[in-house]
Amino acid sequence: MTVSIDDVLKAFIEGGVSVSVGTCDSDLAPALARAWGPRVGGDRRSLSLCISAVASGKTLHNLRDNGRVAVTFSLPTSYKTAQIKGYWIETTETTAEDLAAVERHRETFITATEAIGVSRDVVQLYVQRELLSSPVLAKIVIVPEQIFDQTPGPGAGSPLITSPAAS
Amino acid sequence: MIPLASIESCFEGMFPSVVCTCSRTGIPNVTYLSIVHRLDDHHVGLSYQFFNKTRTNILENPLAQAIVISPETADQYRLDLRYERTESTGAVFQKMKTRLDAVASQSGMSHVFVLRGVDVYRVLDCRALNPELVAESIPKTEDLKGLEAFTETIAACRDLDTLVGTALEALSRTFGYDNSFIMVPDESAKSLYTLASRGFALSGVGSEVPIGTGMIGVAAERRTAVRTANAVRDAIFARAVRAAVVREGGEGTLETEIALPGLSNAQSVLIVPLVALDRLVGVLCLQSAVAGHFRAADERVAQIIARHLAVAMAILPLRAAAEPEPAAAQGGELTLPGTRAIIKYYRSDHSIFIDGAYLIRGVAGHIFWKLVQAYAGSRRTDFTNKEIRLDTSLRMPDIKDNLETRLILLRRRLLDRCDFITITQIGRGRFHLDVDRELTLEEHS
Repeated sequence: MTVSIDDVLKAFIEGGVSVSVGTCDSDLAPALARAWGPRVGGDRRSLSLCISAVASGKTLHNLRDNGRVAVTFSLPTSYKTAQIKGYWIETTETTAEDLAAVERHRETFITATEAIGVSRDVVQLYVQRELLSSPVLAKIVIVPEQIFDQTPGPGAGSPLITSPAAS
Repeated sequence: MIPLASIESCFEGMFPSVVCTCSRTGIPNVTYLSIVHRLDDHHVGLSYQFFNKTRTNILENPLAQAIVISPETADQYRLDLRYERTESTGAVFQKMKTRLDAVASQSGMSHVFVLRGVDVYRVLDCRALNPELVAESIPKTEDLKGLEAFTETIAACRDLDTLVGTALEALSRTFGYDNSFIMVPDESAKSLYTLASRGFALSGVGSEVPIGTGMIGVAAERRTAVRTANAVRDAIFARAVRAAVVREGGEGTLETEIALPGLSNAQSVLIVPLVALDRLVGVLCLQSAVAGHFRAADERVAQIIARHLAVAMAILPLRAAAEPEPAAAQGGELTLPGTRAIIKYYRSDHSIFIDGAYLIRGVAGHIFWKLVQAYAGSRRTDFTNKEIRLDTSLRMPDIKDNLETRLILLRRRLLDRCDFITITQIGRGRFHLDVDRELTLEEHS
């Protein structure tokens, strides 16, 4: 069973957040990938993200293998953090719209990081190095089943919205 | 596998790291961490504060993966990890606990941020996200030449006042540590006060922090260095947790957030205790407005600096006390122009106010009162350390150590706060009082 992403969460995950995708292989070895340009689907029940086609090969493999995925979004300026757990449905080539979302995301992320005192040069270098290391992006589409509030503190890990069918 | 030592700066906490674990049923979990600590060439440590999904997962399935970022080249590295054990005693645990306690105390959350343990992971592999594109980064190393120059400079200092001033200047000139201050314990040994500073708009001399509270106070109490790479991010993190505690109804467990003395925009902070002869003689605090300014290599250098400085600070007052001292000279009769200044002295805490403005309190305030009384009574301007040391009415604890620092504090506070009274050292064990206005003395209970 899936859950829907409301307006507040949509605005949050399409803002200047840092985005990381977690998967695991059949030996239960985890794999991480940085993701850019998250976009919530029109039906609010799917989410697309762009990850490096080369540097995140293991992630793409794991998604095809078992489909289990976790994506964490964290805003540098407030530490507000949310984690979506769900399953993968497809991997495709990126469209012009996806790449425009990636560009917007990188710019808002740089601005957010700069706001906490890390110089723009340093963050830009980070983004540029990542662009160099992942010139080709792949789009993955996932369907959320559970959403957690991961903001640090005593309430971290509590569900924001949980599908009754999910365990 | 890339040697962890070659990417040491990735473990400084300049950028957050991300960690992925997965349950025994294959459900992944991704979490952000402020810092991944490098323990040795094959192990890293993650702090264990709250029982969360990451912890549940590693107890079921020990495999994990982390991504760390180099602050110099912005390259990213993947670490494949296997959880081995949790340490809740020992040097690594104590070091991490002190850092956490220091930040927790500063942010008023000593009951919230509690280090339960250090989760130790074996590093199975470390590789760049894209090995073809990794930039060469030269790890920051200890500046031995600088250390040699620094120790030579401070070895030539013959008195405590010169020592602290010279040391802070040398830290700037030799290592580029431009913003620094030295604090020393007061007579109660419950607080530290600033004895000397460099690189701040206001000197802050005389300002106090309690030992055991705040980053500086905790570092002093534990006699352990505390270093932060990104104080603004630490503060944002603390505020996020504080807000969550309030939401959960735990407001009663919170304490007041404390402002860190020094730069208002400090990003990097390195606090090193000054310990000599197994005694805390003070703390050295270095600050920078640049994030990630102080690295592990800087901490090692600062520890060596602090040990040299501490020994000199412990020994110089003893030497001054043992020196034979010349007799005090008498001042001449002289009437000064200008309006009279009113100096008020309050016996209860030995505080001094000049024309209504607070100057100093405690032992230094009492000494000042003795000096201006002598000046007002007989125009005496020259004094010896020895006569003050032997003045039983001052009732100074641990007298040899404290007199020198009190005189330095007094001299520097006068420089900051009063433009018509100065104290100048004239040879070892003697000092001169210059007063450019007539004084009216008022003593209160």
